[in-house]
Amino acid sequence: MTSSVRTIFACLLGFSSATAAAFPKQEATRSEPLTPAPKQVTFNRDIAPVVFHYCAPCHHPGEAGPFPLLTYRDARARAREIARVTSTRFMPPWLPEPQESDFADELRLSDEQIALIQKWVQQGAIEGAAADLPPAPQFAAGWQIGRPDKIIEAEKPYTLPASGSDMYWNFIFRAPVDTTRWVKAIEIRPGDKRVVHHANVLVDRDQSVRRQENEPGAGFPGMELKIASETFDPDSHFFFWKPGTVLKPEPEGMALRLDKNTDLVLNIHLQPSGKPEKVQPSLGLYFTDKPASLFPVLLQMENDQQLDIPPGEKHYVVTDQFTLPVAVDVLAIYPHAHYLGKDLQALAALPDGSRKTLIHIPQWDLNWQAVYRYQEPVPLPKGTTITMRFVYDNSSDNVANPSDPPRRVVAGNRASDEMAHLWLQVLPHALPGVATDPRMLLQEAMARHNVNKNPADFEAHYNLAAMLLARGAQEGAIEQFDEAVRLRPEDATANNALGAALLAVGRSSEAIPYLTAAIKAQPADFDAHYNLANALASQGKFLEAIEHYRASVRLHPDDANAEANLGSALAEIGNLREAKLHFERALEIDPNHELARENLEQIHHASKDVKP
Amino acid sequence: MLHSSFSSRPRATLLLSASTMLLLLLTSPLFWAGQKTALHLDGTPADPFLENPGKPLVLLFVRTDCPISNRYAPLIQHISTQYGEKAGFWLVYPSETATAERIRQHQRDYGYKLPALRDPWHVLVAQAQVQATPEAAVFTADHHLLYHGRIDNLYRDFGHARPAATTHELDEAIQAALFGKAPPSNQPGVGCFITNVQ
Repeated sequence: MTSSVRTIFACLLGFSSATAAAFPKQEATRSEPLTPAPKQVTFNRDIAPVVFHYCAPCHHPGEAGPFPLLTYRDARARAREIARVTSTRFMPPWLPEPQESDFADELRLSDEQIALIQKWVQQGAIEGAAADLPPAPQFAAGWQIGRPDKIIEAEKPYTLPASGSDMYWNFIFRAPVDTTRWVKAIEIRPGDKRVVHHANVLVDRDQSVRRQENEPGAGFPGMELKIASETFDPDSHFFFWKPGTVLKPEPEGMALRLDKNTDLVLNIHLQPSGKPEKVQPSLGLYFTDKPASLFPVLLQMENDQQLDIPPGEKHYVVTDQFTLPVAVDVLAIYPHAHYLGKDLQALAALPDGSRKTLIHIPQWDLNWQAVYRYQEPVPLPKGTTITMRFVYDNSSDNVANPSDPPRRVVAGNRASDEMAHLWLQVLPHALPGVATDPRMLLQEAMARHNVNKNPADFEAHYNLAAMLLARGAQEGAIEQFDEAVRLRPEDATANNALGAALLAVGRSSEAIPYLTAAIKAQPADFDAHYNLANALASQGKFLEAIEHYRASVRLHPDDANAEANLGSALAEIGNLREAKLHFERALEIDPNHELARENLEQIHHASKDVKP
Repeated sequence: MLHSSFSSRPRATLLLSASTMLLLLLTSPLFWAGQKTALHLDGTPADPFLENPGKPLVLLFVRTDCPISNRYAPLIQHISTQYGEKAGFWLVYPSETATAERIRQHQRDYGYKLPALRDPWHVLVAQAQVQATPEAAVFTADHHLLYHGRIDNLYRDFGHARPAATTHELDEAIQAALFGKAPPSNQPGVGCFITNVQ
């Protein structure tokens, strides 16, 4: 009847905003003087195919583009702007350089296409022959892949002020399921797309984030989120929206498990439009009957502790290196920095000596951050070293610099702080002949890497301990929890976890001081009361145990284990009448609760035995 | 009576004093018919120079469908309120297609309280020498163009906005017009081009 309660800290996909570093200088595109008679460029023949493919997906009514680009008339009215924003590669927004491993849905104009647009505008934006015009693009009205199985809308809208700096808002949606379902796609409808820069859904299995709401359902501000999980259950999916996103279901076999009492947290980056805007997003969930058979993992590389950027520094480099303990297929990649990020790249050095660029963004622009999916999975063998290398510009030349004049910048969750994160969605290969879940090997290796990288990192020790505990390496887990408590002696979660781990190996007397410390730090901590009650009960201190079981039941009136254990402790001191009530209550909560049923039967037998 | 300092303005008729103009109107009722002018939202000819005699004039060029000029709406409204009656403030919509009703709706949506003009033939655009929305033009009380260009330096280019502006050209230009200070140098605005094909 021992419960080991643990929490895994995951710094999840913070999304921030900002504008990017130095504006890329583009060479002016001019008609070649040596060309005697430059071809006349027309909209219908030459420009419409480009505009329809690259621009119209966002520039049509209801989408993020502030004006439509569906006809010659539309394009002519914006001709100079189109020439300008394409020549600087501001539009269409696509940050990565071309590379060997192509990304899906790449929106990058070729140099030739850009030159063609310039020439078209210089020549007077001619319409051309009607026969040359390709069919206008057709866009799905409403939900992109048909009506979702479930639609959930944010409980309350958020009103974005008319002016001010960018805003990050989090909406919390309770998963609309009574039983576990498998999700193959989530369409994010972020509200008014003209004010939303990007949006991202995070899975909060333990509803750890909703306590940040001042008012239930109202959401809360914040650029970065930290989600705590009680079990080893790594989030494995990116659910990301940016303007122009084409919704694609998860690959076959990779559905997301969605349990009852799970929260979906939508983190949205908003930019004021000049008038107050009500934003009330909704999510469309598409289910499948096929449970997941493939389990990708989100690997987070980071080196925030290296971030200590002096004011004026134009080329500050932050790196992290991780060697894969198992072979993986890389499915998607998401680099993340805030406003000082300049040049972001990730490289893979394979054991055979070859190298692959996983991503290279030479002009980072937080406003257009995105998750990039590979056209084909990128295989990386065991022993491959992945290097993250981010360069930051904290000078006044960086127009996005939030500080004027520049100031020293370190890591943090605010927009004026920095981050150095690289997320990789990988599908680990199972090791031949090894039963261990390869995800656990990956996560444990990453946790150990983080501990080695930063021995003073509380969360690194905590997470490594949780990984070790998950695969039954209890003594190793106790060492790491102990280190976490040493780093934060008053942390309720760490004290509780260490106490629970000690309790799990039968060291209940050692567990009691840590569990007591956890309650002192957080008197309403259900887990700590429950674990302490168990520790006391295991030592025969039933009266004290009953006190903490009662506290547990007060805090979580619907916890069948707490009710059943309270009943057991009461029975131990001979209070069978009250014990019976708690066993009955446990069975009311969970009719299949074995301990409660057995104990209740014993009480019945005992009462029969007593009767003549 | 002609004022030589007005010679940069294309319409000589506007250089006349109010009383002379009234006389011309009386004696030549068809004068406006062939003349392209800015328009009030009710469709009548408008000349903001004549409607704000003796005061500096601030023209703010915006569009209903330009996201960057819309983002400036709170600041434009704030500045026009801040200076109140000390200068004449006008929103100018240089679009050929935006209707008066659409402009009225735009004003309601964005909380604009200052008067608006349509400038479909770009008469005021030419006088103010502006290229894009949002841009501002500040004229002295004697109608001399003191400054034209960006409102501030929030945007360095499309998509490249500072967290907050660090220079405030429009405010400086108004101060210059009111108190005889040196105006800022003209700086092009970032936004939607007023004339799209040249």
